[in-house]
Amino acid sequence: MEYEGIKVDVDFLNDYSKELEKDAKTAEESVYKQAGVRFNLASPKQLGEVLFDKLKLDEAAKKTKTGQYKTGEDVLLKMAAKGHQIVDDILAFRELTKLKSTYVDALPQLINSKTGRVHTSYAQAVAVTGRLSSNNPNLQNIPVRTERGREIRKAFVPRDSKHILLSADYSQIELRIVAAISGDKNMCQAFLDGTDIHTVTASRVYNVEAKDVTKEMRYKAKSVNFGIIYGQGAFGLADNLGISRTEAKEIIENYKKEFAGIQKYMDDTINFARENGYVETLMGRKRWLRDINSANFTVRGFAERNAINSPIQGTAADMIKLAMQKVQAAMKKVKMQSKMILQVHDELVFDTLISEAKELKPLIIENMQAAMNLPHKVPIIAECGEGKNWLEAH
Amino acid sequence: MEKKVFLLDAFALVFRAYYALIRSPRITSKGKNTNAQFGFTNAIVELINKQKPSHMAVCFDTSATTERHTDFADYKANRQETPEDISAAVPDIKKIIEGLNIPIIFKDGYEADDVIGTLAKQAEKAGYEVYMVTPDKDYGQLVSEKIKIYKPAYQGGDVEIMGPEEVCAKWGIKDVSQVIDMLGMMGDAVDNIPGIKGVGEKTAAKFLAEYGSLENTLANADKIKGAMGKKVQEGKEMAILSKKLATIILDVPVEFHEEDFKLSEWNKEALSEIFAELEFKTLGKRLLGDSFTIATPSKSVIEKEIPQGIQTDLFGNIVEQPEEKKESYKEVVIDDQLTDFVSVDKNINNTPHNYTSVEGEAAIKKLVAELNKHDEICFDTETTGIDANEAELVGLSFSVKPSEAWYVPCPEDQKKTKEILSHFESLFADKKKTWIGQNTKYDLLILKWYGIEVAGELFDTMLAHYVIEPDGKRSMDELSQKFLGYEPVSIEELIGKKGKSQGTMRDVEVEKVKEYAGEDADITLQLKKYFCSAFKEERCRKSI
Repeated sequence: MEYEGIKVDVDFLNDYSKELEKDAKTAEESVYKQAGVRFNLASPKQLGEVLFDKLKLDEAAKKTKTGQYKTGEDVLLKMAAKGHQIVDDILAFRELTKLKSTYVDALPQLINSKTGRVHTSYAQAVAVTGRLSSNNPNLQNIPVRTERGREIRKAFVPRDSKHILLSADYSQIELRIVAAISGDKNMCQAFLDGTDIHTVTASRVYNVEAKDVTKEMRYKAKSVNFGIIYGQGAFGLADNLGISRTEAKEIIENYKKEFAGIQKYMDDTINFARENGYVETLMGRKRWLRDINSANFTVRGFAERNAINSPIQGTAADMIKLAMQKVQAAMKKVKMQSKMILQVHDELVFDTLISEAKELKPLIIENMQAAMNLPHKVPIIAECGEGKNWLEAH
Repeated sequence: MEKKVFLLDAFALVFRAYYALIRSPRITSKGKNTNAQFGFTNAIVELINKQKPSHMAVCFDTSATTERHTDFADYKANRQETPEDISAAVPDIKKIIEGLNIPIIFKDGYEADDVIGTLAKQAEKAGYEVYMVTPDKDYGQLVSEKIKIYKPAYQGGDVEIMGPEEVCAKWGIKDVSQVIDMLGMMGDAVDNIPGIKGVGEKTAAKFLAEYGSLENTLANADKIKGAMGKKVQEGKEMAILSKKLATIILDVPVEFHEEDFKLSEWNKEALSEIFAELEFKTLGKRLLGDSFTIATPSKSVIEKEIPQGIQTDLFGNIVEQPEEKKESYKEVVIDDQLTDFVSVDKNINNTPHNYTSVEGEAAIKKLVAELNKHDEICFDTETTGIDANEAELVGLSFSVKPSEAWYVPCPEDQKKTKEILSHFESLFADKKKTWIGQNTKYDLLILKWYGIEVAGELFDTMLAHYVIEPDGKRSMDELSQKFLGYEPVSIEELIGKKGKSQGTMRDVEVEKVKEYAGEDADITLQLKKYFCSAFKEERCRKSI
């Protein structure tokens, strides 16, 4: 994959760079207009003074240790939620300039002079959980949450007109692993039934029929599901969802009642780690947790979260690595010319000869799904899309 | 000479040092967490170098009960247990302070702030400029024109020096003596001092602005209106107790001895010993000079029959070998029972080795024939850069036996390099060979650019270590020092320090590259042998 690299559309990036610059300028001017003063928007110090000393948007604004006002993203997001247009514009300005400098302008610099392609480099032994990490460029943190960020994926294209990109990814893989490792009956059943896991979670937590689950309920249930994977408590959930801690606590309590097997998994894993000093993935890859028996709860809590998370994320990492071997071997066997070119967490991208696409798709899906068998017969589902750039294919 | 004394609150600094590194802990080869020792040493040395005090002392709390605990059973009762790593670090830190020839002061029944307070006032009288090194806000009550708080930098922030003006501004008070009135009223969650229920920082400051002191506020409690008045009335007793708890004791039976506190020569021998034990290699060299070396465990090596080690595929994943393929062979096993601590440091200058340069068609053919006799070959590439997709090959090294290696230089002329490589083609294409390397993905990618695909099995020492211990660092140099007690030649000795002026391997004379590259292959081979035994002992794998 490092040898192959991927083609990037430089013309698209140049155009997009200009567009981002224009929009950033518009947002910036809008900020100055609303502030009634021109200043250096990139300086947190000046921004803090404008927002809090001049406009007095928040009387209780917090300062950092060095005496400046805090103007971090978390602070601004909270203010934006209260409906300050100027804060929306500041956030937009920051996102646009960051996208431009970190990705849009940086990507063409990374093009290899011999190949005309971008060759990311994968570190195999850096992330403690077992995941690969990618550098130059880091493809794993290309923003996907905003439309502007997703747009960057358009720059990644097939090598020529005879090729398309295929993108295959695992569906809800970490939650499937949670269900399988914990053996929680309700969660395993939801996957066996092929139902939407977050809707099922919401219907159980709120005790309503699946058809009566609202968007908001589903969103909250989703947050709990992922919060569990990362060992998040009521405090973190409340902060994440912007709800009261009492409500968060209630949701978590209901969750633990409905999915009792998951609570048991968490307790068992921590106990296992306490006794053995490590936790392991389904494949038996270990992570040592030397602080798991600390009497200090901050230190211990850190180790406990890792005890819960590592087997889940680690198993997912093992699975996709096995899948990559299987897919590669299968492609070689039938002498395909298409190439596997990227891995991003639970996703694989292929530079695919159009004439091979029809055969390659099922080959990828089958091998990904067969990479590993999960306990309790929890099914593994992989999906595959195609397109003339990475955004379309994904 | 300027009379300037720094008094350090040891535990406050140790905790900060420990937590600052908690996400990327420093662990020694013996599994000891050295965050606290490392952070503390850095902080105290930086203080000495930058602030240039003439005198210094480090003050510790003791585990004995103090008057505050007798007065108020809940005093500091909310404190978490001290992390074990910190408790274990204290004896080391005391050794380091002693090595720096700085006095350690403590007194049973008193806390470090009492000791520092008493010493600070004595030193002030003796004409000293006093700095109390602590992040603790309580010290504000001690500040004067001559006594200041020195708050060390934390997480990228700046050092903060607080005199009377800064302390008053921080609390919104007129005089530093009012700090204890503030704490008496608002309490202090850190020490579990209750204060008056319902009174916070702002209210307390308001009362002090009006009535001047805590006692006077309480005396005028009937004038305070509404619910707040009632709270103050009800909280009188707690307020007086809280103020007492927050008051730093200034008559601790300790004495400020000018001569004892004066900074003097370090005891380099003592420091060298403790730094070696804590494996502070870079820090040790920086403070004690380049002659500093780390004592490494001497390993007893015995030969045992064990099954062949793990194999990895092209992605570096470990693959199970079919049962029948497994074979026994002579393996070096490190017996940890016999490991003890002696000061030997092995390196290329004191370790016998035989690295040979192989040039010319005849010699290369002879080498290939020799390598062909072995099932396991350790190899490494020397190139012009770290980006394998851009770099050119400068040479190849091979090793099949510890302390021995061959180096094949490759010229800048890429056509000639390809000619040299063509001799190795059949060797690399042999499916029965196992290739050992450190981060083999890099070497494979380099070879692929010359049209060579390695067909055999792979053993990657970097990935082997990753599977054994996913946390921490694993460059070949680090692994070698940790497991073999051998410090490899630094690449910077050949091509210069990182940065714009750094050269490439192409510019280095072949003789030097030969030693460097040969060593790499040799050491990686030795690491492989070490890890094979570690895999067996720790039973790291179940089914991978």
